[in-house]
Amino acid sequence: MRRGRIGERGHAMLELAISAGVMVSCLVGTFQFGYTFYAYNQLVTAVGNGARYAAQRTYRSGSENVERGNEAIRNMVVYGDSQPAPDATPVVPKLTPAEVEVRWDLAGDGTPLNVNVAIKGYTTDAIFRSFTFDGRPSVQFPYVGNYANGGREQ
Amino acid sequence: MSVSMFLLLAVVGMAFDLGRVYIARNEAQIFADAASITAAKQLDGTAAGLDRARAAVSALPNRWNLGTEDFSGVVIEFSADGKQWEAEPKDLKALRYARVTAPDNHVTIMFLRAVGGPPSFTVPARAVASTNPVRLTE
Repeated sequence: MRRGRIGERGHAMLELAISAGVMVSCLVGTFQFGYTFYAYNQLVTAVGNGARYAAQRTYRSGSENVERGNEAIRNMVVYGDSQPAPDATPVVPKLTPAEVEVRWDLAGDGTPLNVNVAIKGYTTDAIFRSFTFDGRPSVQFPYVGNYANGGREQ
Repeated sequence: MSVSMFLLLAVVGMAFDLGRVYIARNEAQIFADAASITAAKQLDGTAAGLDRARAAVSALPNRWNLGTEDFSGVVIEFSADGKQWEAEPKDLKALRYARVTAPDNHVTIMFLRAVGGPPSFTVPARAVASTNPVRLTE
């Protein structure tokens, strides 16, 4: 009788160990994918906003002006603001402007046709595992702003 | 055991399937925005302008489903007043708006269908852009 009760307790412990293992694995996986999807969704929104902003702002020719403009676009993606405050927080943890790629398609005369904004080499940390986004999300918008030949970017 | 399995699948499904649905909805709306601006930019009152608008929308590289699939079944319509829409308009000179609809974005549901959810979830998107200046209006 006594031995039977001990045996039952042993079975229960074994069942708990197996089912807890399965449950914890499922919950960890759910957290990983859930958090990664959340981060990806934030990046899609940020890249879309950045590309829309880039498509409408004045494009000034000249490599210095273009680079200054690209910096404002990267800031728009990362912080939601082209001129962020020093303590601004990125839309997803640890995203930096260096991980945002801005590419212009130019016509033969140098006027912009399209702007492409993409995430390059950003790694999201879902605690148990990390995922790297390289080239995704990526958005192209046609350029519909004003083209200025020269001048100085503000 | 079966109750806890049901709850577990529901939680996994909420995170996995709904997460993908939200991303797809976002990607589709951004595509529709970009495509409507692309089409409106090409309108110049000529039949060639209409052809260019359609070709430019087809050439747009924006994708959906975590950036892995091209948009299909995209509908491009044009309007003079933003109310009456036609895919093949007659009065080309009067055209002031382009509308793009991406209706066929079906996200396959993997976990929620096991607990009574639908096999797929459709996330259509639509946007309207005006010409001169080319801007999103809807």
